[in-house]
Amino acid sequence: MNHEQAERLLSARIDGERLSSRSTAELEHHLDSCAECRAFERGAYRLREAARFEVAPAVPDLVDEVMAAVGTQTRPTGLRVVRPMRLPRRRVLPRLAPLAAALLVGVLIGSLVVGGPWQRSETGSALAAAEVADGISAAAVNLDAYRATFDVTERNLSPEVPERDLTMRVWFRAPERFRLDVADHTDYPSRTTPTDLRLVVDGSRWYAAGPSACPSAVCPQRESVVRNRLPFSTDAPIPADLVLPISTLSDPDRVTVLGRGTVLGRPAVEVEVPFERAKPLFPFLSIGGDWRPFFPNDRVRIWLDERNWFPLRWAVYPATGAERDAWALRFGLPEEPSLRPVFTVSARNVSTRPPAAGVFRIPASASTRDQGGRTVGLSDLAGDVGFDPVAPAEVGGLERYRVVVPTDETARSLIAYADGLAFVTLGETRTWSGDAPFGPVGVQAEEVPLAGGGVAYYEPSTDEHGRRVSIHAAGTDLYLESNLQRSALLAAAAALPVQGLPMPDAWRIHEVGGATVERVSLETARDAVPFPVGLPRALPDGFGLASVELVDAGYGNAVTLYFRDVDADAGIGTIRLHLEAAQTLPPATSADQSSVDVDGANGRFTPDRSELEWIRSGVYHSLDAPGLELPELVAIAASIGTNG
Amino acid sequence: MNDPDPRTLVRAREGDLGAFEDLVRLYQGDVWRFAYHFTRDRALADDVTQEAFLRAFRFLRTYRGDSKFSSWLFRITRNCAMDQIRARNVYVERVTPIAGSVADPQARVELHAALDAVSPEHREPFLLVEVFGLSYQEAADVLGVRVGTIKSRMHRARRAMMDALALEEEAR
Repeated sequence: MNHEQAERLLSARIDGERLSSRSTAELEHHLDSCAECRAFERGAYRLREAARFEVAPAVPDLVDEVMAAVGTQTRPTGLRVVRPMRLPRRRVLPRLAPLAAALLVGVLIGSLVVGGPWQRSETGSALAAAEVADGISAAAVNLDAYRATFDVTERNLSPEVPERDLTMRVWFRAPERFRLDVADHTDYPSRTTPTDLRLVVDGSRWYAAGPSACPSAVCPQRESVVRNRLPFSTDAPIPADLVLPISTLSDPDRVTVLGRGTVLGRPAVEVEVPFERAKPLFPFLSIGGDWRPFFPNDRVRIWLDERNWFPLRWAVYPATGAERDAWALRFGLPEEPSLRPVFTVSARNVSTRPPAAGVFRIPASASTRDQGGRTVGLSDLAGDVGFDPVAPAEVGGLERYRVVVPTDETARSLIAYADGLAFVTLGETRTWSGDAPFGPVGVQAEEVPLAGGGVAYYEPSTDEHGRRVSIHAAGTDLYLESNLQRSALLAAAAALPVQGLPMPDAWRIHEVGGATVERVSLETARDAVPFPVGLPRALPDGFGLASVELVDAGYGNAVTLYFRDVDADAGIGTIRLHLEAAQTLPPATSADQSSVDVDGANGRFTPDRSELEWIRSGVYHSLDAPGLELPELVAIAASIGTNG
Repeated sequence: MNDPDPRTLVRAREGDLGAFEDLVRLYQGDVWRFAYHFTRDRALADDVTQEAFLRAFRFLRTYRGDSKFSSWLFRITRNCAMDQIRARNVYVERVTPIAGSVADPQARVELHAALDAVSPEHREPFLLVEVFGLSYQEAADVLGVRVGTIKSRMHRARRAMMDALALEEEAR
């Protein structure tokens, strides 16, 4: 062994790397006779001391800044933080042979389905999925009251607690009163804070109580109250989907209809969505307590009452595949067979008898947060905000329910319309000075023509918001947010007594890092660049072109295309395709990149950004979507045509 | 460096801002210090830290647990720092002392002299392993190189720093 080899081994050993017993023996032997190497070892420890002492500068506390910035990220102006469903996966189940499918479902639903042989849906599943979405939307408008009790079973919270047994009760009174109670009956092996939760929404007030999430088994209780809550604010969870899965199942592209059967003696239809899409059916997870983790692609199967669309039973089945296995390992979960539910919620009874008013009483609490939504009378509104807002008696067929003046830098009105579980909120200001449309709508929102003239800017629903439309009119800016379907929301926007104008230049044109970015039509973009702008043909179901930007960085124009789901954003997010003339890929900007074949062209994949880059016919292409994975990106890339 | 409680991580992945805030609190010190080593500027380190957490938040869903969370976060921090450096076209070659550090002044001077003596390529693994306590595998994950590369760079970094210190002693 020479000095060089000995020093290398010493260096590794100092850092706690394991050496083979043979290497150790040889190293010790060498050290016995080599003063130089012993000096190296001492020197290395001296450096360590210096280094560990040294690098303890005063570190600033950046939590508030970071969280404020993260807060703006969760608004839908940027790319969304989402993970995709796998594009091909959704089609697997309907393709099963009827007998195999029948056996499978028979196993899954077990003793809960009493009578009624399982049968295939008589219509195609795509049509049936749309029927389900339409059915739920129609039912939502007519529902005045609801109460139900559910049994909840959870598996694999931890090795010590392989199964938990809870009860959940839900109450609803139109338009905006909810209560959700969770009672934990689990017999824990050691002292553990039970996951007992309560959530109450009573119009302008919101209350939640439960154990806070903490790393030990015994956790402190937490109570929070929001007052002057903005109508239908999605800042805090609302258990609306437990009554009718209006958010979960509003986008038929993401729903697979599995079949029909009988649950609780009622005719029922079973549908499947990925967990990621079904999160509104699990509002209790974010209230507090301890819950097992779920993988975004775990399958949630929901049995819905065919007559009124109430969810009667839903269960989470583990997804399959190496990615899920690696994830499960990380959380210390045992092997979870894909045919055995890991979480089930089953209705014990469901009724539309109105709950007593006392059910929605909110207890006094020390910690109260004011959301600044002051309720006023309609007649006082103009005096309060300094202008005469657009305030029809009904919007989208829903009646005016609450008039609010938010405490804001911008003087604005907010009027809520509601019927049953359906709502629309209408915001307006006369002094909008932002550089994007008014309301939670971004500059990349889809431009939609309104019936009767004018345009509006539309955003699909997300985890944080309902569907939104912003209208920029002469002297005023308005937006609507709603859980109505897209067509109903656009009809409601069209019926407002204003004429929507296209985005002004101040919103359309931005300076970004020395480049000028201008929102344009696809035709304008095609005329402005010297290469063909082709659109991908293989986009995920429900996706369409939302907006186009022309980018001028001073050396020739480039084009950026944004594709989004027209109904609901949750699940995939925005897909962005950027094109510019170039012969080679730009220098690598991440340590973690790999070469991939993109339909015969040499490409580069950056997992950190979910970005695929390649050159074809002298055009640099960059395709990214924060959720999509490499095979999906490659499939989209390969489908890009030259004549759109 | 410890990884976060898996439940905090899963909550953060599901968009729970409170859980993400816990992660920020837990890692901001290490992320900031790591950023500072690249930027040598407190304000820039603040920017890089903020940007790194923003990216982490945006891409948390893509974190699959194939490396430790801290390695993943450091890799993002390093990318952010590189972006900042490229954008400003500065790369501070010389190590300048951090105001307010509490160590023995003699040791500090020595360390700075020694760090000056090694190339950024060797300095990075040294900082990750010695200062941030990463294993070779974790440092390899952060830097996107093989474990063997970390091993030889650690050795070279130590050798170069010791040689530099010895030279200093001789010059006195």
